[in-house]
Amino acid sequence: MAARSLRAHLLRMLLPPIGALLVLGALVAYYPSLEPATTAYDQGLIDAGISLGTYIHTAEGGYRLELPSAVDQVLRRDSYDSVYYRVLGPNGEAIAGDDGLPGPPPERELRDGFISYDTAYKGQKIRAVAVPAKCGEAACSVVVAETTVKRRRMTRDILFSSLLPEILIAIATVLIVWFGVKRGLGPLARLSDEIKKRSPGDLRPIAAADTPEEARPLVSALNGLLDEVAQASRNQQRFLANAAHQLRTPLAGLQAHTELALAKPLPTEVRAELEQVHQSTIRTARLANQLLALARAEPGARGNAAELNLKALAESEADGWVHQALARDVDLGFELDWAPVHGDAFLLREALANLVHNAIEYSPRGARVTVRTGRNGTHSFLEVEDDGPGIPAPERERVLERFYRVPGTPGTGSGLGLAIVREIAAGHGATISITDATGGASASSSGTKGCRVAITFPHG
Amino acid sequence: MRLLIVEDDAPLASGLRRILEAEGHAVDVTSRGEQAVLAAAQERFDLVILDIGLPQMDGFEVLRRLRGGSPEKNGPMPVLVLTARDAVDDRVRGLDLGADDYMVKPFAMPELTARVRALLRRSQAHGGPRIVHGPLALDTVARRAFLKNEPLELAAREWAVLEVLLGKVEKIVSKEAIIQAVAGWGDDLSPNAIEVYVSRLRSKLEPAGIKIRTVRGFGYMLEEYKGA
Repeated sequence: MAARSLRAHLLRMLLPPIGALLVLGALVAYYPSLEPATTAYDQGLIDAGISLGTYIHTAEGGYRLELPSAVDQVLRRDSYDSVYYRVLGPNGEAIAGDDGLPGPPPERELRDGFISYDTAYKGQKIRAVAVPAKCGEAACSVVVAETTVKRRRMTRDILFSSLLPEILIAIATVLIVWFGVKRGLGPLARLSDEIKKRSPGDLRPIAAADTPEEARPLVSALNGLLDEVAQASRNQQRFLANAAHQLRTPLAGLQAHTELALAKPLPTEVRAELEQVHQSTIRTARLANQLLALARAEPGARGNAAELNLKALAESEADGWVHQALARDVDLGFELDWAPVHGDAFLLREALANLVHNAIEYSPRGARVTVRTGRNGTHSFLEVEDDGPGIPAPERERVLERFYRVPGTPGTGSGLGLAIVREIAAGHGATISITDATGGASASSSGTKGCRVAITFPHG
Repeated sequence: MRLLIVEDDAPLASGLRRILEAEGHAVDVTSRGEQAVLAAAQERFDLVILDIGLPQMDGFEVLRRLRGGSPEKNGPMPVLVLTARDAVDDRVRGLDLGADDYMVKPFAMPELTARVRALLRRSQAHGGPRIVHGPLALDTVARRAFLKNEPLELAAREWAVLEVLLGKVEKIVSKEAIIQAVAGWGDDLSPNAIEVYVSRLRSKLEPAGIKIRTVRGFGYMLEEYKGA
């Protein structure tokens, strides 16, 4: 469904009444002003008629108009219109003037003795007045008429002068609606910008301070939804964390008893079986840890971010890693420099632990693994490098996906380790890169490229 | 040594008990915090292994009562906390309340026994002047060392480095930490000097099966003695 434009909708609602008002306003302004103007022009004709009447003289056998030619010229002079006149005797007979100029319609009654009427003469519309005059003792009449050029002009002027302000008002209304809607919706646009800019994990309520009164219900409804989503997300994380925690105690028991059993003299076959059980136990424990880490790294999980030093973090975990490394005869080394970051200690420790675990797990016996922390310009980094088989370039993107393992990889990992590292890195705004080994470790006798996984943290 | 295990998960508790008994300790087990507090008040244990996630009175409360009670007879009672939770806050809280060490479940048994040994050794070192590590024995009062019961000549700084390493068996001791511990012995020491002392110690101790592992770029770790 096409979105309805608020502007178009408003204009559709506003324009017909505005148009109607425009017409009505024009009519209301036009007719009252037309009447006096017409009357004024008519008065001019009447005055001319009265003047003409004074030139009627009685002659033997009838009446005559004795009009000096100068007066005739003055009478007929007009900038716009042609002026006509005709003098009619007591019986309606023409005495003088323009032949054929129509007389007043017989049904029209005299008003103040004058009749004004519209008619046509010589193919033109004319306005005429009939004025009573004296022919001696008898009553005769004078008809004066003019074409309607200046009347039409006047009509146009009146119409225009009454319409112009209304048209301007209509245009102003459209503009006000157009820009007013844009301006009025400005806070909404800012609101949507703010929401757009948010990271998916940011479920804080939207600040309502800047939003207009009318948008408040929208904001508070959104905030209600955000709150519910955050609550649901917290519940889910709590569930996952609880599940992982609950798994740990029985796993510890399982591990204790398999190790106890393995310490005893056992038939070779039984020992082999038990070794499998033991390995599975350790793997399951690791998986529980990884799920826990994944739950915590989930966007929306409110981490305990603090100012940390990656160097100290690596040092505090080194004991455990060294024992893992010794068990696989891997030479684990450290090149640790000051590397301050703002982050969640648990998650960063888990990320580092996964990288070190991978490096140790997938490197051959006797391999070198090096953990580094430090500053690269203004960016803190941590990286783990090994001289193992490396990860082929085409696989480097995919190994970051959950449950993906490079085909043919020995061992029994879950494929979660690097996915967790990626999520943790993303949660810290950090970038992760997988390359061939670059340090001294790459000069390995086995001729392998090795692997270097680096996490670079944002400026800070 | 007399140990108390406070753990409500029966299979884990029995596993721990058998492992620690195999190490030669006398082990008592209880599944309830209240009983642990009572037992510790009445008897002397050399080490308490305490689970945090106990029903009713939880491990933190037990720890508070153990530490807040009357001054402990016969020196401090080390507490090793076990937990299924690994939130940083929990760790800090446990250590703040006076736990001596902290392990997150599940854990490898050799790691547990190593930690138990380290804690016992540490608490023993408070009272006893003798530090024993396999065939090596240090008499800290007389400042004399013996290897396989034969007197062992150690220079003053070699002694100091060895003492630091013996205090943290199976744990990495950074070069900086060694320098700091030995700094009282005179002029500034360079990391290279530490390497020299360690290599001298190695040549004296390795024939007897005592191994000091180098952790590249970090420091050294005195390994658990596993026989010559």
